[in-house]
Amino acid sequence: MLSRVADSLYWMARYMERAEHTSRLIAVKLESMIEQTSADAEASWIRVISAMSATEYLPDDPSAFAITKALAFERRNPSSLISSLGAARENARQVREQLSTEVWEHLNRLYLRLQPITTEGIWVHQPARLFRETLQDLQTLEGVTFSTLSHGEGWWFLELGRYIERAQLVSRLLDIHFGIAAPGYAAPPPLPKYFDWLVLLKFCTAFEPYCKAHTAAILPERIAEFLLFNAEFPHSVRFAVDRVRDALANVAPGAPPARRALCERLAGRLKASVDFGQVDELIGGSIDKFLVDISDQCEKIHDAIYAAYITYGAETVL
Amino acid sequence: MQHGVAVQEDVAGADPIPTQVRAARPGQDAPYSGYLLGAAYDEMFAPDGIVRAPYAALNGRISTLAPEELFRRQQACEQSFLHQGITFTVYSDKQATERIIPTDLLPRIVTAAEWDRIERGLKQRIAALNLFLHDIYFEGRVLKDGIVPRSMIYGSAHYRREMRGLVVPHGAYVNVCGSDLVRREDGAFVVLEDNLRVPSGVSYMLANRDVVRRAFPGVFRASGVRSIEHYPRELLTTLRSLAPFQEDVSIAVLTPGVFNSAYFEHAFLARQMGVELVEGRDLVVNDNVVYARTTSGLKRIDVVYRRIDDDFIDPLIFREDSSLGVPGIFNAYRAGNVMIANALGTGVADDKALYAYVPRLIRYYLSEEPILDNVETYLCREPHSLSHVLANLEKLVVKAVGESGGYGMLVGPHASREEREAFAEKIKANPENYIAQPTIQLSTAPTFVDGAVEARHVDLRPFILHGETTTIVPGALTRVALKRGSLVVNSSQGGGSKDTWVLNN
Repeated sequence: MLSRVADSLYWMARYMERAEHTSRLIAVKLESMIEQTSADAEASWIRVISAMSATEYLPDDPSAFAITKALAFERRNPSSLISSLGAARENARQVREQLSTEVWEHLNRLYLRLQPITTEGIWVHQPARLFRETLQDLQTLEGVTFSTLSHGEGWWFLELGRYIERAQLVSRLLDIHFGIAAPGYAAPPPLPKYFDWLVLLKFCTAFEPYCKAHTAAILPERIAEFLLFNAEFPHSVRFAVDRVRDALANVAPGAPPARRALCERLAGRLKASVDFGQVDELIGGSIDKFLVDISDQCEKIHDAIYAAYITYGAETVL
Repeated sequence: MQHGVAVQEDVAGADPIPTQVRAARPGQDAPYSGYLLGAAYDEMFAPDGIVRAPYAALNGRISTLAPEELFRRQQACEQSFLHQGITFTVYSDKQATERIIPTDLLPRIVTAAEWDRIERGLKQRIAALNLFLHDIYFEGRVLKDGIVPRSMIYGSAHYRREMRGLVVPHGAYVNVCGSDLVRREDGAFVVLEDNLRVPSGVSYMLANRDVVRRAFPGVFRASGVRSIEHYPRELLTTLRSLAPFQEDVSIAVLTPGVFNSAYFEHAFLARQMGVELVEGRDLVVNDNVVYARTTSGLKRIDVVYRRIDDDFIDPLIFREDSSLGVPGIFNAYRAGNVMIANALGTGVADDKALYAYVPRLIRYYLSEEPILDNVETYLCREPHSLSHVLANLEKLVVKAVGESGGYGMLVGPHASREEREAFAEKIKANPENYIAQPTIQLSTAPTFVDGAVEARHVDLRPFILHGETTTIVPGALTRVALKRGSLVVNSSQGGGSKDTWVLNN
């Protein structure tokens, strides 16, 4: 597979994952805010915007409307929903011949449908609905991708992008809830309450799976354990890391072992840290460091993939 | 099917087209009340207003459909283009907007006899042009014999001295050619220009077929339309025939990238042929061998179907500021390690001035009379032609030799006095740069415009493939000037396109 193609597929998947994550955060937040006091709702919105590193696109006095706008339709915000979808589509367009017609047309239609929408236009009447629909569309697209694309190298690059992005997004979200104060605000926001933990699970589409595993007893330690270390739940960090490792074993089938070594070693080390992590050692102690470390390891894996397969100098392989 | 009863009838029917249709007359009855017959040859109506036989089935369908239904089908075609991403990007100051090239709902029909002549004429033409290219890059007989002036070759911006003495497989310089034909008032097809460099539009030929066949399945079947689906396979065969060996030939389509207006076509052809689509930055040249950079390492490339102009293909040899090209690819080409289609330096033969010599080239190389005529052409470099041109500007179309896409031209009858005078000065300052042709009334064909069927001017661009053998897929891109009365069909100037049906008999 051409290195440029692998690059585009990888980023296409990352942007789609980011778009899906953003739509879900907005949908859940818009749906849940009616149950909260305005102070709680505000603190919770601020956690959302910090999780998406988008505080700089907000007015001084952020409202739910302004935050939704910044996260969904603000084109200056490179990780807004519309920017992510636009970037996914641009990457897809560059490798149009590698994708199935179904995948391309589904993504293209989704983008064209969202492109003219404004926050003002949807705000009056059930704004959450649009984000739910978008979420469903993106999930459908995931299924279409799974069932219409050959599961060859290109598909594995999509997997790689999707799960590296997921591991980082989920650890960032956990970090905002368990660790540090929201950046950019003078006073630290109030600590999460019961309802916020519930919302956190919904942010990761984890509420029902969590209840099946741990009953409806909402305990922060168990939530952390579930979202970090559960091996079977698709939105846990450990699950994502497993998929990254599988994908790495399947990309660049013709590359000699020496070129594969660094990527695979880094992925193995990351896997070890989530396979053998103990949540009771983290809670009340080093959880923020642990989460940041996971994100850093993902960065290192990303860099190693690029050095080995995408941006290598021709002279190194001749 | 969401289009309602009429479409279902079309899809399901054994022969759903009404056979007894009241004769609707152009210019009088719906849906042709706005259809004006002029001096031009009309593809659908004879001068007496009777529908020509090949259009009978289409007429039967459109004259019995409600205008709203035609409109719905037109919209379905446009939606399909948009969803497939068959768009080009228009860059303005503020933002980039995506547009589709308008596709017309109504097909243009070419009979078997007409096609036979076109096909033979184009094969003859491409044979002569390839012999000419070989000649000027080797012995130059045609120059020694005084058939073509030397200055026209050596003074051409598209002449590549780097190509001298370089052997190309089968002597095939032009592997993909798109020739523009128009139909004169007397009904004869004539050649308006040859595109021998990187002609585009073939994806529209295929995409138009896809949507129009869906819009008129009954008419399509009843008319007996020849298939064009095998174009990508024929292109692949042509490219493969250029490789020095036939086992494991590695072929790539070289595109300038996603911002090029024909990018959709490049990706489409690569996908349909099952070959890599590469950009310049994907290729590296080492020891005169071209490789693609892949995740598993470097992979050798044997044939490049390039959709990049000569000037940009190799910054070491041609324009050094080109970032689209592949440094070193020309030397690999010279060494015979990679084949490039089309060959470099073919532009010297599709120059608008050289065009006037093509009939002479056919006689010179093939000892045959041209099957397809040229449009009468005045070379402003010849003094008697120049004075004729300057005296008759209001009747002529004047074109700058080096331009394409409808730029740098004057359409005399449509220009104001001031525009003509200004253009005359330009011609006098540099006569070698201009040619002039009488304004030909391009033929008109039924076109669905603003809810009505009206006559619009069209041309015809078939695609000729030439490698070990010559192949022309029975179809073409018909370009249509959507503005009433306009003769300019270029997509950059408000033109659209139509599906073209070549009939079995």
